Amino acid sequence: MEPDNRAFVRDLVAQYAPHFPRKRCGRLITDTSEFMAVDHGDVIALGGKHYLVLRDEAERRFGMEDPKYWVKRCSELETGERKILKLVFYETFPLKIGNFEIRCHRSPEKEARILDLVRGDLRFMQGETIRDEKDNAVRVLDIVHGKQFDAVIENIDTDHETYFREHLPDLLEKFIGACESIAHLHTLGEKHGDIRRDHLWVEYNSGAYRWIDFDYAFDFHENPFGLDIFGLGNILLFLVGKKEHTTYTMGGGAFSEQVLSSLTPDDFSLMFPHRLSNLRKLFPYIPNELNNVLLHFSAGTYVFYDTVDELLGELRPCLQLLR
Amino acid sequence: MDFKKILVAVDGSENSARAVSYTGDMVGDGSAKQIMLLCIERFPDRDLFPDEEAWKKRCSEHREELQQFLGEARATLTAKGVHDNRISERYVVSCSSPFADRSTARCSFGTSIAQEILAVLKEERFGTVVVGRRGVSKAEEFLFGSVSNKIIHHAKDCTVWVVA
Repeated sequence: MEPDNRAFVRDLVAQYAPHFPRKRCGRLITDTSEFMAVDHGDVIALGGKHYLVLRDEAERRFGMEDPKYWVKRCSELETGERKILKLVFYETFPLKIGNFEIRCHRSPEKEARILDLVRGDLRFMQGETIRDEKDNAVRVLDIVHGKQFDAVIENIDTDHETYFREHLPDLLEKFIGACESIAHLHTLGEKHGDIRRDHLWVEYNSGAYRWIDFDYAFDFHENPFGLDIFGLGNILLFLVGKKEHTTYTMGGGAFSEQVLSSLTPDDFSLMFPHRLSNLRKLFPYIPNELNNVLLHFSAGTYVFYDTVDELLGELRPCLQLLR
Repeated sequence: MDFKKILVAVDGSENSARAVSYTGDMVGDGSAKQIMLLCIERFPDRDLFPDEEAWKKRCSEHREELQQFLGEARATLTAKGVHDNRISERYVVSCSSPFADRSTARCSFGTSIAQEILAVLKEERFGTVVVGRRGVSKAEEFLFGSVSNKIIHHAKDCTVWVVA
């Protein structure tokens, strides 16, 4: 370890973040290749600025914390702003979707390209790419101050029919806007790649919907936007149903035996055979037109949306029916 | 439309090898006026590779495999009795190629192989198009698409042979 390097970090932190414990100050990092070794108290130098590493980010999935060692929550010392630094991590891994496993590639270059394309478009997370001394494309991201989309829906404490009549129209209008932003991304020749309800955030102040995390890449060609459309369909099902309705959650007396016995395999999701798509069977006040959009994602469908515009073409008219 | 002008779309897969073989069996008696072997180059995305070199290497290997396949397909047809002078080959390079040839007059954007096959079919006035089919479930078609299904849905004024 170079003592001068650590002394420089201590002086820098003392100047800009005097409350940070001096004994926790670490190294000055100019090459981020070994991201596992970049730790709390280290300072990453990029583009003339310095980022004090506070912690690794983590994703909460299935009740477990999944640490993302290449994603660092930092304080930009010169400004005091909190930032997220995504360090370069190439990996290829199988992603399970229903009964499928598809090869997913994490691509920092793809995310860097999209950040450039959507600069100033607040429907997407914002940030810039700065290369370290080894040419690693480090993405320096603004933090979205808000809540995950699913948490917003789950926190609406009311029964489904009240939710449907009083809340859904406004929520659907916002969601249509979020779909339009994905359609815009597609016209730019890019795919989001990982559309999930925890990658759509609702900002506290503005209520704006913003997409995050664009670094997944796939080798799909004949239907290049299929995975994004599938992701939007899943979110729409959650939005209209107020939650996922699965064979595991529909029992317990919430729905009559007559309703439950009317469900057929075609009523469930094309990818997830336990997740209900035909929500009108549970909630008969859902208009046919909206339910038909949901059925495009069911096992019973023979017609798929090829583009987000096709989905929007059928979803937009539904809004008037809810108001 | 002349149904004896046959376009065989190939991609180097076993399914397209079967499509070539079937075509040879059907028209090896000399009944085809013209057979074009069409190969649309589709390289893996640059995003899937950590560096330019690894991507170029894979693209170069892929191109060699496809061109070798075209040669083998021609040999299959002639072995089944098709006259060599009635067989032509067209290799459409990828527009996103890492090689210098992407500026050629026609290149493939790779967003829909099916649409590109149909464009050649129409321009060159082929009456029959032959494709292999790997056989996909409905869910796979939703996620990944299907060239043969798209051709079946969109082809006009021609015969479609789908070899599964």
